[in-house]
Amino acid sequence: MSGFLLEQRRRARFRRLDECPLREYFAWPFPRASRDYRDVEYVAVDLETTGLNPQEDQILSIGWVVLTGNRIRLATARHRLVKVEGEIPAESAVIHQITDDEAAGGLELAGVLPELLWALSGRILIAHHARIEIGFLGSACKRLWGQRLLVRAVDTQVVARRLLERRHIPFKGSDLRLHALCERYNLPRHGAHNALSDALSAAELFLAQAAHRDSGHGMKLADFL
Amino acid sequence: MDVELIEIREFLASNAPFDRLPDAALDALPQRLSVRYLRRGTAFPPDDDDTPCVYILRRGAVELRDDDGNLIGKLAEGDLCPSPCGKGAPNMAGLSGQTAEDTLAYLLPCEELDRLREAHAEFAQHFDTSVSDRLRRALDTMKDDAAGTALMTVRMGDLLNRPLVQGGPDISIEQAARIMSEARVSSLVLTNDDRLLGMVTDRDLRNRCIAAGVSPQEPVSGIMTERLHTVRADTLGFEALITMSRLNVHHLPVLDEHGVRGVVSTSDLVRVQSANAVYLVGDIHKADSVETLASISGRLTELQIQLVHSGATASQIGQAITAVTDAITIRLLELAEAELGAPPVPYCWMAGGSQARREQSSYSDQDNALLIADHLKPEDDAYFKTLARRVNDGLDACGYIYCPGEVMASNDKWRQPLKIWTKYFNTWIKRPEPMALMLSSVFFDLRPIHDPEGLFGELAERIHTMSKKESIYIAYMAANALKHRPPLGFFRKFVLIRGGEHDQTFDIKHRGIVPVVDLARVYALSAGLDEINTIERLKAAGASRALSSDGAANLVDAHEFIGTLRMRHQAEQLKRGEMADNFLSPEELSPLERGHLKDAFALINTMQDSLGQRYQAGRFA
Repeated sequence: MSGFLLEQRRRARFRRLDECPLREYFAWPFPRASRDYRDVEYVAVDLETTGLNPQEDQILSIGWVVLTGNRIRLATARHRLVKVEGEIPAESAVIHQITDDEAAGGLELAGVLPELLWALSGRILIAHHARIEIGFLGSACKRLWGQRLLVRAVDTQVVARRLLERRHIPFKGSDLRLHALCERYNLPRHGAHNALSDALSAAELFLAQAAHRDSGHGMKLADFL
Repeated sequence: MDVELIEIREFLASNAPFDRLPDAALDALPQRLSVRYLRRGTAFPPDDDDTPCVYILRRGAVELRDDDGNLIGKLAEGDLCPSPCGKGAPNMAGLSGQTAEDTLAYLLPCEELDRLREAHAEFAQHFDTSVSDRLRRALDTMKDDAAGTALMTVRMGDLLNRPLVQGGPDISIEQAARIMSEARVSSLVLTNDDRLLGMVTDRDLRNRCIAAGVSPQEPVSGIMTERLHTVRADTLGFEALITMSRLNVHHLPVLDEHGVRGVVSTSDLVRVQSANAVYLVGDIHKADSVETLASISGRLTELQIQLVHSGATASQIGQAITAVTDAITIRLLELAEAELGAPPVPYCWMAGGSQARREQSSYSDQDNALLIADHLKPEDDAYFKTLARRVNDGLDACGYIYCPGEVMASNDKWRQPLKIWTKYFNTWIKRPEPMALMLSSVFFDLRPIHDPEGLFGELAERIHTMSKKESIYIAYMAANALKHRPPLGFFRKFVLIRGGEHDQTFDIKHRGIVPVVDLARVYALSAGLDEINTIERLKAAGASRALSSDGAANLVDAHEFIGTLRMRHQAEQLKRGEMADNFLSPEELSPLERGHLKDAFALINTMQDSLGQRYQAGRFA
């Protein structure tokens, strides 16, 4: 979607919505794609969910951390467990190590989402395989406030694939996994399948991708979108 | 703190200086950090930080070079980089850096670092104190950590200085006796899958087998003692001794959580009390044969182990071991004279090298020479030749192996009257050739061991006068003193040496001890000092104009720290029944010790550089 179109939709939704956290989010313009990526703020986000379908499955936890240009600011790191309706499917509990009891101690999504939206306002979303994050956050907003979310996002998986394709390096699907890429860039391995750890890994991966593409003279944000 | 940042907290907690922060401060630390990624080949530190920060390396490596482009350090995971934070924190003045690998770093604002330093004294020490203070504190810690040797403090586990000798339950009495005889032990532990079944001792072989007429082909289980009293590895010496005397037994198996570790005998306990230099020297004076002396000197390794355990420093251990060597030398001379008769003319037995400097460890080789009165007649030399041969052989039998460079009194060249020695020194001082320089470490460290007529004083006086007139040889000695350079430091689990190469281990003697010994010799010669011991030389030089008093104190601390690490390394090897060597791998050091060692190396390098500049040593190298 072009920047112009995105901005128009943002303003339209801002006008259409009644007072709510999503409306506040839409009050902030998206950073322009022509800006130097080092002058932009980002939020790296990761969700742990009960499945892959945003319509049917639920969010179990959300982790995020803010980047100012090419620095991750750990002070902004957040991790929130979300209360789910019904039981957690056994297979997802195995992956995320989040049990029913823990999830019951989580917060209502309606309480967590405004916090994340506030962090995201006027910033770029970073996620690895961002479609999942955007899909789940979108349907949650729709359910809570009647409108889908609009974001401008850097998908570190897309950036990685483009880089490999451009250099004609053959790769398998598994090479594009978050932890495989982190290893490739000499990044530390944080605990897997924890929303904040993965958000942090995605943030670090973005820094690494940017450092390897930037010849020292800066680049446009558009090059990562 | 979000629990997910714990991984970053743990990383910080395992690295100096953050390991000195209390838990609460560590918990709050991750949120104060930002994270940056620097591609390989990026200038370090980057110039685009808006607030001054200190970089903590999480992944990757950074190389630091001086103005001339020489590599002076290489940092890796867990290292704190030089920073603009000031106030005693190492900074980048005169240095330039570059990432040598793709690097992920944590940035802590200087402001936050200052706050931590103000709030936590222990953390602050890492930055505030001089290298010398840090080394001295490290030495104190080493002494405090030591277990002590007396029976009140020694633990059974520390007395086990040989691998466990054991056999299976189905071996015969004869096989058991052979195992014991080969291992030279007086007891044998019988085990089955690490389970202690029983023990046989020399006494059992005598009383229950031979005296009882039992065939040696019978299984040993028939004569072993089954219901054994045991002690734990952490049992104190005096408790064990009480147990032994109460039960009237002479051997106690020592157990730890994994099973039997060894056997302690009454003689081991007695030795704890007696393995000190004073006892050994007393025994040496009474020894009436080379064999007896050799068996006494065999306890030097034990002496070294126990001194290390009791927290002695390298110089204390060196003094103790050298005292024993001196006593053995003198006793060998007495025994030889008793057989050969009184000497035809007076002589002086001189020691060179580490014995002269009183810096021996067990397993030193011998360096010695004979100074004979000038009225020696040609036919008299046969006597001295025999005398020297006896003593050199005796020392070798006592574990002081023959000098590889043949610097021994039995070598005709080093068994000479005063006038020839004077000539030797005159040549060495006036024409410092490579051979002379090689010998300088032996002959400019010279000490009379046995000198009843006081011949040595005259030689020392002459050397003094000659060297005062000639200064060129000191320049050569200075150049020579720069031949052995310490490593730059450590990089991951490797030693980083000049030129940027890595090594798995390093020779702590040639790269840590010898450089300081050589420096001290040059200072002593240039100031005309009589001291021979390295630390005494440094202290005396610090009081003269040859060296600043700070420089002297720093070198003393560096020397003591390095020497003590070496003694400890050797004691561990001796305890495991291995030969002692000088090859240390960074992995046997704690991160803190690595840090201190790096400090000590840097200090020695600096002193070598300034010596080199003073004598423009490059011209003589």
